[in-house]
Amino acid sequence: MEEKKLTEKESLEVITSMIERTKERYIGDGNILLMWGYLTVVVATLVWALLAITHHPAWNWLWFLIWVVGGTATPIMVRKKQAALGVMSYSDKVSSRIWMTVGYSAMFATLCCLAFLLAKGIDAWGMMLAFALVIVPFAEITEGVLLNEKSLIAGGGVGLAAGIFTMCCLAGGVALYANWYMPMFICAFVCMMIIPGHILNRKAKKR
Amino acid sequence: MRELDPLLHSQLRLAVVSILMTVEEADFVYLRKKTESTAGNLSVQLDKLAAAGYICVEKGKSGRRPRTVCSMTPAGREAFEQYVDTLKEYLNL
Repeated sequence: MEEKKLTEKESLEVITSMIERTKERYIGDGNILLMWGYLTVVVATLVWALLAITHHPAWNWLWFLIWVVGGTATPIMVRKKQAALGVMSYSDKVSSRIWMTVGYSAMFATLCCLAFLLAKGIDAWGMMLAFALVIVPFAEITEGVLLNEKSLIAGGGVGLAAGIFTMCCLAGGVALYANWYMPMFICAFVCMMIIPGHILNRKAKKR
Repeated sequence: MRELDPLLHSQLRLAVVSILMTVEEADFVYLRKKTESTAGNLSVQLDKLAAAGYICVEKGKSGRRPRTVCSMTPAGREAFEQYVDTLKEYLNL
């Protein structure tokens, strides 16, 4: 584009043309979703297997691996994604703030459960399962609506259904035994993060 | 009739501001691609807009590469809105 004086009509054309060019939406790849999805599935499978073999509840501390690995990798991946896209729209900003809220509330929820355990010996960790399958899918569905991405809405919907079921179990005093709950939890995360993540990556490759 | 803001009434600067009005922020590479301008020319025009307080330019790094991110300031938004209003008057829209 050359630097030149414009007529009023040309000015209007420049404005219209630039607005048109920014309409192309790039959702980006699904690598962050895949990282969280595979991380959660691997850790959940590991905890489930170790609990089944040893029957020792201490293996539940391995759940913290999700926060350590995910919490470290996410900011790095977000910066890379942002640099690759080169632009941040209003919907990107809203989406980023929603996930930030999910992250901070997850930290607070973890601290609450830890405080219950250390102060009173009460096991409130079941709440974290409901958290993972209610707050996270809700954020995913919102992002899907913002970006008009059906895989996120559908995946989030499956996760949310599992989350509502989990909440009903917790409220109704139904014990969440690992032999049936863990496969359901793992399947929910596959539908919620791994499948949409691969769909987003395939779309990114096509572009 | 009001005069069109001379700072905005130039092809590349108007293009940059039009893009930045529709997004929260955009980096130098994105602006260069969308405006199809040269790096040197774009850099000069961004400096002029920043000096007028119309845009905010933040120079940072993405990994080892330098990354310049631009966004509109409230003064820039107001100037653009006034520019469009004046343009409408000229064109009887």
